[in-house]
Amino acid sequence: MRALIIDDSAVMRKVIERALRQAGLELTEVLQASNGEEALQALRSDGGSASPIRLIVSDINMPVMDGLQFLEARRDEKLAEGVPVVMITTEGSEPFVLRAIAAGAQGYICKPFTADQVKARVLPLLQVA
Amino acid sequence: MLGNGGVSVSEERIARLDSAVSEVFEMMLDRSCGPVDAEIGIHERITARIQFSGAITGECLVYASQTVAQIAAEALLGTVSETCDPMVEDAVGELCNMIAGGWKSKLGSSEAVCLISVPAVTRDGTLGFRDEFGTSYHRCYSFQGNVFGVALAFQS
Repeated sequence: MRALIIDDSAVMRKVIERALRQAGLELTEVLQASNGEEALQALRSDGGSASPIRLIVSDINMPVMDGLQFLEARRDEKLAEGVPVVMITTEGSEPFVLRAIAAGAQGYICKPFTADQVKARVLPLLQVA
Repeated sequence: MLGNGGVSVSEERIARLDSAVSEVFEMMLDRSCGPVDAEIGIHERITARIQFSGAITGECLVYASQTVAQIAAEALLGTVSETCDPMVEDAVGELCNMIAGGWKSKLGSSEAVCLISVPAVTRDGTLGFRDEFGTSYHRCYSFQGNVFGVALAFQS
């Protein structure tokens, strides 16, 4: 399966990819974006793909376009509808969580995190999707 | 000023910082990490800074020697990195981000209503505290004998 990881830190994108693989996901391709705008471009380009993206993981606190703005823009543009989005972020306060869920996030994980937490939050979403 | 259980507010904030640092290293690097009495030389230091704005205004700094930063980056990534690998700076920035975020999340709900910036990282060792903040804490930590520093300065 293909996944999109959005984080302004290349280190964190690698750490998240490793955690997803440790969770048992068979990732054939991992697209990477360093902010929400790059992620929107990736989703626009991916429209109509024979093997579409099946999981999006996003940070919130990023330059250019943050993760909440990305969620809202994705919803407004109807990009990758039905694809689960999991936020992985240091912003754990309730206003951020509520806004993310309202904008379409189905999972929320606070940094620091363990691979077990990623597995527990991500796998159920993929079985439903 | 005393907080919960007769513990001073300063002690509470330092305990929260210790807890935040320990959690980041346990969960993300699979390493134990605790406070130590030590000094960090200012030469060849990599410093990452996160700024708080809102109910708390201030900043969190994480600083380490090039060698310790590289060891931390390798532990975080699970791979070997090169001396001037930009991933080392990125890793120190992410450690600072997670420590600052973890410390913020342990504050009371009214204090935690603040935003944190993306990390800024420098190798020149001159990125220091701003003088305008009223409270500051400096603390050194060690994981497997590798020492690094964390500093907090803020007004609330």
